[in-house]
Amino acid sequence: MNESEQPIIEVKELVKRFGDRAVLDGINVNIPRGKITVIMGGSGCGKTTFLRHLIGLYQPTSGDILVDGVNIAGLKEKEMNEVRRKFGMLFQGSALFNSMTVGENVAVPLREHTDLSPEIIRIIVRVKLELVGLTGFEDFMPHQISGGMKKRVALARAIALDPKIVFYDEPGAGLDPITASMIDRLILDLSKKLNITSVVVTHEMKSAFRIADQVIILHKGKVLQVGTAEEIQNSKNSYVQQFIQGESEGVIPFKQTSEAYLKGLLST
Amino acid sequence: MKEFMGKVGQALYFVLAGVARLWSLGSAVAAYTISAFFKKKVIPRAVLFRQMVLIGIDSTAIVSLVGASVGTVLALQAAYSLKSFGAIMYTGSLVCVAMARELGPLIASIVICGRIGARMAAEIGTMMVQEEVDALTTMGINPIRYLVVPRVLALAAMLPCLTVIADVMGMIGGWAIGVTGLGINSHLYIAKSIDALVLKDIYTGLLKSFIFSILIALVSCHQGLSVSGGADAVGKATTQAVVISIVLIIVVDCLATAVIYYALPT
Repeated sequence: MNESEQPIIEVKELVKRFGDRAVLDGINVNIPRGKITVIMGGSGCGKTTFLRHLIGLYQPTSGDILVDGVNIAGLKEKEMNEVRRKFGMLFQGSALFNSMTVGENVAVPLREHTDLSPEIIRIIVRVKLELVGLTGFEDFMPHQISGGMKKRVALARAIALDPKIVFYDEPGAGLDPITASMIDRLILDLSKKLNITSVVVTHEMKSAFRIADQVIILHKGKVLQVGTAEEIQNSKNSYVQQFIQGESEGVIPFKQTSEAYLKGLLST
Repeated sequence: MKEFMGKVGQALYFVLAGVARLWSLGSAVAAYTISAFFKKKVIPRAVLFRQMVLIGIDSTAIVSLVGASVGTVLALQAAYSLKSFGAIMYTGSLVCVAMARELGPLIASIVICGRIGARMAAEIGTMMVQEEVDALTTMGINPIRYLVVPRVLALAAMLPCLTVIADVMGMIGGWAIGVTGLGINSHLYIAKSIDALVLKDIYTGLLKSFIFSILIALVSCHQGLSVSGGADAVGKATTQAVVISIVLIIVVDCLATAVIYYALPT
């Protein structure tokens, strides 16, 4: 297998417990290099927890996560920070630093991790903002721009150090459909133009099927199905069908079963 | 009885656990500060200078005002007692020694605790809620190095300066009342003050304010970093930061005074 075919992230038997509850229960999955992988699942299925493991914010209870051949489970902070140089992350709420201008926000990783002169950093910041279509917004404060623009600034910051992998946590959340599809187009553009591997966590069907090369469906801390967008849409699995059709009744009941309800009522 | 002892044990556990967490945060800050002498770019300068302006320059006015008021009140109250001994001319020495040793550091610290400690806890707490701290971590930037270290250093540099301002303003306040209200001769007032003040009064006061500054910054940043949840948690952390800082300042002040003036050889 040559390098380009080898998956960039390999997850093996990943388990995460919070107390007694297993949020992730033995996940085995590969994320292909240079492709867009979408992770889907209902609320509380563990997809955000899974993403947080991939970027090293959580440590797994057991199992391995190989990023470019390096196992990041149980890695020390210093070594983890080396791995993180390959990452960019777009947070759900953008997570821009509110005390800094847009330009300074994009410059933070450059200032901290490189020895470039301020002039060069300024040029790189302009180039990155141009890539996300926000030329000339360097001197705005985050509270002066719209939610969609913030997302784009956060994306510019995420790609400031030319990462190999960019993670997106609910990129379309809280945005109108047009802005959300603009973000989708940016994800596609970046992936193709810069050959970045993208990992997108979302529960928005339309956007997922528009951008995905590979879809992973999580359910109750397990991988339910992995496949291309088409394979998922034609899935025989009844849960997957309920999920993509967005029906309230189905394999996943709307209500808790009556027994559990009764138990819940009587136990105070 | 059993229940009561259980509560005592629980309270003790919380206190000790808190001290341990503060200690570990403090030692991380110390390690980064020491490594800043050998490595480049440990301390983010922009953040450091922004904090210094915010803490130092922007707090000068309020610290001066409170310092002067305390000096004035102190002179008025001292004169009342001293009058019965016919020792009213010693008002100046009392005010100056009290301001330099005790009230200057204490007042500057408490004003800064309310102004800056609360702000630090709320700011870092909001950054936790809005995932900004996680964003720093995923960029490979340690939040303690980037957020806590510059705040601790800025406060440690600025609080002794503000203490000097509070000292001087308190002394001026006392002098103004002594000369105008109490009818003490201005030369006599100043001469008695200079006689009474020794260098030790001033540098122990500054040493105290330095210790207080580290306490305030560590407690406030720690409260900020332990926020999880939403606006409610930020509010709680802000209150906690101020309350814990003030209690610690006063307790540590007692200990420091006992050690400096009674345990150590003079």
